[in-house]
Amino acid sequence: MDKVMSDKKVIILYILPAFLLLIVLVYVPIVLTGYYGLTRWDGIGEREFIGLANYTRLMSDGMFWRSAYHSFLLAVFSLLSLIGYLIISMVLAGKIKGADLFRKIYLIPMLLSSVAIAQLWMRIYHPTNGVLNRFLTSIGVDNPPLWLADTNIVLFAIFIPIIWQYAGFYILIYYAALKNVPNELVEAAKIDGATPWQIGYKIKLPLISGVIKVTIVLAVVGSLKYFDLIYVMTDGGPNGASEVMASYMYKQAFRTYNFGYGSAVGFFLLVLSLVVTWLIRKATTSKEDEVQY
Amino acid sequence: MDQTGNRENRANRESPPTENPLLQKIAKGILYIFLIAVAIIQVLPLYWLFLFSLKSNQEVFNLPPLALPQDPQWENYARVWTQGNIGQYFFNSVFITASAVILTVLFASLVTFAITRMRWKLNKLVLGLFMVGLMIPVHSTLIPLFNFFLNINLMDHPLAIILTYTAFNLPITIMILLGFYYTLPREIEEAAIMDGCSVHRMFFRIIFPMTAPVVATTAIINMIYNWNEFVFVNTFISSDRFKTLTVGIQNFIGQYSTDWGAIGATLMISILPILIAFILLSNSIVEGITSGSVKG
Amino acid sequence: MNKKRLSLLTLSTLFFIVLSACGQADPAPGDTGGGAGDGTGGGEEAVIDFMHLWPAGSSPDHHRIVSEIIAEFEDANPGITVNMDVLENEQYKNQLQIISSSNQLPDVGMTWPAGFMQPYVRGNRFASLEDILEDDFRESFVAGTREAYEIDGTTYALPLELNIAPVFYNQAIFEEYGLEAPETQEEFLNVIDTLVDNGVTPIALGNRDRWTGSMWYMYYADRLGGNALTEAIERSGTFEDPGLIAAADEITNLVERDAFIRGFNGLSDQEAKSEFMNGNAAMYLIGSWDLPNYTTNEDVPQEFRDNIGFFKFPTVDGQGSIDSWVGGPGVGLFVSEASDVKEEAKEFVRFFVERWGDQAVEDAGVIPGTQVNTAEVDLPDLFIEVLDELNNATDITLFADVQMSAGVAETHLTLIQRLFGLEVSPEDFAREHEEALQEEGGPQADGDAEESAPDEEEGATDEEEVEESTQDEEEVDEDAESEE
Repeated sequence: MDKVMSDKKVIILYILPAFLLLIVLVYVPIVLTGYYGLTRWDGIGEREFIGLANYTRLMSDGMFWRSAYHSFLLAVFSLLSLIGYLIISMVLAGKIKGADLFRKIYLIPMLLSSVAIAQLWMRIYHPTNGVLNRFLTSIGVDNPPLWLADTNIVLFAIFIPIIWQYAGFYILIYYAALKNVPNELVEAAKIDGATPWQIGYKIKLPLISGVIKVTIVLAVVGSLKYFDLIYVMTDGGPNGASEVMASYMYKQAFRTYNFGYGSAVGFFLLVLSLVVTWLIRKATTSKEDEVQY
Repeated sequence: MDQTGNRENRANRESPPTENPLLQKIAKGILYIFLIAVAIIQVLPLYWLFLFSLKSNQEVFNLPPLALPQDPQWENYARVWTQGNIGQYFFNSVFITASAVILTVLFASLVTFAITRMRWKLNKLVLGLFMVGLMIPVHSTLIPLFNFFLNINLMDHPLAIILTYTAFNLPITIMILLGFYYTLPREIEEAAIMDGCSVHRMFFRIIFPMTAPVVATTAIINMIYNWNEFVFVNTFISSDRFKTLTVGIQNFIGQYSTDWGAIGATLMISILPILIAFILLSNSIVEGITSGSVKG
Repeated sequence: MNKKRLSLLTLSTLFFIVLSACGQADPAPGDTGGGAGDGTGGGEEAVIDFMHLWPAGSSPDHHRIVSEIIAEFEDANPGITVNMDVLENEQYKNQLQIISSSNQLPDVGMTWPAGFMQPYVRGNRFASLEDILEDDFRESFVAGTREAYEIDGTTYALPLELNIAPVFYNQAIFEEYGLEAPETQEEFLNVIDTLVDNGVTPIALGNRDRWTGSMWYMYYADRLGGNALTEAIERSGTFEDPGLIAAADEITNLVERDAFIRGFNGLSDQEAKSEFMNGNAAMYLIGSWDLPNYTTNEDVPQEFRDNIGFFKFPTVDGQGSIDSWVGGPGVGLFVSEASDVKEEAKEFVRFFVERWGDQAVEDAGVIPGTQVNTAEVDLPDLFIEVLDELNNATDITLFADVQMSAGVAETHLTLIQRLFGLEVSPEDFAREHEEALQEEGGPQADGDAEESAPDEEEGATDEEEVEESTQDEEEVDEDAESEE
């Protein structure tokens, strides 16, 4: 057994195609981004090596830290949303009539491109014609909020479509994981008289804890580098109130020709993600040891 | 290592609780009302998009999102179909998406298998290297990748897109597969090896089919990502014959104004194939489970 | 650098070995043609790659004219082929930067003037077009437009469009409340107050896009500060000029009077425009590129189009000239310095600009950078009126965000959004501009990275040209042809 399963040739054969792609198409850009981050470069002409100057600037760049804070807030909200998605998935994976249909329907918004989702939510949030404010006006609210124009609200207003956008993604993963739980275990527990709640909480949840950990990482990392809807719906505004790290990086690199500085922001984002992921792993390792490795 | 956790769990069971059947019925009713309400909310975007595609530019902004257009602009569809070569774009989208999905899922499965099931020292490190791939913001990679494809003469070639999609989706795919591979019982491999099965055979004949549900899941996710992606396509592809459907949307964005109705129609046209593929693939999540549980 | 390329090559070779080993059924790699900047060069045969931003879907007229001009050019120059690559506005801008990082610009492409093209010129990416301007072709441009594409006295692109920004207004709404087009700030405020009292939104403004609000500020800066804004940008003056502060104060005043549509800071220009086009707002300040919507665009109801007029931005307390406009050239054509077919490309640019001037107004509603003889063209009245105003303009101040270098422009646009959101006082608004302008040229500012370039005044050099020329106009008035 050990001999077969530690055959170096097989391991290399299995890893290599993906690994080469990763190195060439992902790591080379990462390394180059790191390098560009050490230069002053408009992305067009000559590069000038300036050492860590971009990073010292980054450390005292209030706008960057503000966008980093927004990104972290998004990560927190995404994490919280996972709980909801997990519950919905458990309900759907249970013995519910029409669960199959519900599941398919629930995932439909996931198929929409960001362009479509942005358009939809801009119609919902429109200050006068929007679905939301028409409703609020009709129930007697005089001055409904200016969802995307009010600097105090805009960040949270834009979190909702972002989180909604990923509902299908997580429900899909959780659902598949829950369906993967061996039936015998569930049946056995039922025979023993466990309630559906107990089956879910005591049997299914621990069994899919590996998947849950993965989704936690995905949600956090995905939030930290989130870009799409922010770019289309608010462009980080008004006045940077909805700026996140990736949109800030984009603006620096492409709009103001600070490609060097933008690269530093991008690289720093990567380092932050790494640190956070490492922390998450640390925080969840103790349990992992029991269940898996 | 070998799922001792399950046995513990089973031991943890509690005495059968007493339940009120009426309460249960009410609870179930509320649950269904909730489920149906959510379902309606989730379907509305599709309906909205359909209406959107039939609106004139003025109506798009002026009418409430779910109001019927006064004079449905079916010509939005005609315009989309006749302008540019949507047929070609469509074929390219299918070809690129399918190739990238197959490559990604296959490569990722191989890697995940090697990392979780095989014994070697560097597996954690390699896994970590893949995970870092999740963390780079796409826009940081554009200039380096452009330069790279230029140097290897792959600029304006579909392969550039397919490989980029594969590389960038590998990390997330591996991550998702990972959780499932960990739960596969070791006994399967032991039995297979006892029977004298080679590693390749074990992977392709036993493990890969067993993971069908999660493979389908990752295939769906990859498919959606690739289908809607446009930043890489725009950057690496310049000739019209290799462009994809997302370019169809661009076709209607102008310097100072945008033809929203036509964009709606393009979005609607491009969502249909993926909707069908999604429904088919999503069935296999369930099918996979039945076949998987027989073996498991 | 060389080392890196070497390792890249090694990696890519490895990569291909694996690829072929895995035997995917992908089409064989190889030259697929159409690659940016890859003219064949030499001899009779030449391929000119041309990148533009007018897709057939959204801009059918533009696209058609472009294709026609290309066909004409190919007919007139056997052996030369022109390949088009079309991208939408935003994507176009990104792509331009990405491809020029590898020195792969198309032979001919589109650029915006002044601040936008600075890094390209500094990076030696654009070719000088002085040689095709030698004869009287130079004189065929409207005064001040070509100069916007001039850096250190060299022209790097030629304008295709020119816009001024009038205030469009809905005459039906004005009539209903007995209002007339205002000529002074006093009258203007009266119009606003009357509309507000009657529950009508006075002004549609989509300030999420920020340049829209900038135009409002520009006008007040022009009326109250004269040349102060340009001087501040050129660094021959300060942004803390009383006129520039007073201008910011006027904006605050308008916002406090509820002059602008609800939620303007969260609305895109297109959303705001639709409010105007639906008759929900009475006025809308926008570039003359929008004229077709109020004249020829069949998708807009005739009744609405008939109701639209425009007025010149009012003077404030007798200050400023009402014939002084905010506007400027939009996209222009450049030739890549690295092009293999530079001569052919330049010929094409010249050919294109000439032909474009003949057709653009009539067929696509674009006011070209070249002079238009209003007597000869067949256009709706509103168009003619705007063209006449353009000829009568005493001064055209280039949009601030175009004048400024990209880094300062970003600061400016953010400050505009804050000013309209009443989140910054007029004094701080001016002070923060001043700080950004001072910082410019400092070690970290906006990519003015080049050792060789005259860094210190780089923010100013090209704007000078623009403003100089507009000042020329001021003196010569009317059809001010004589620049240089």
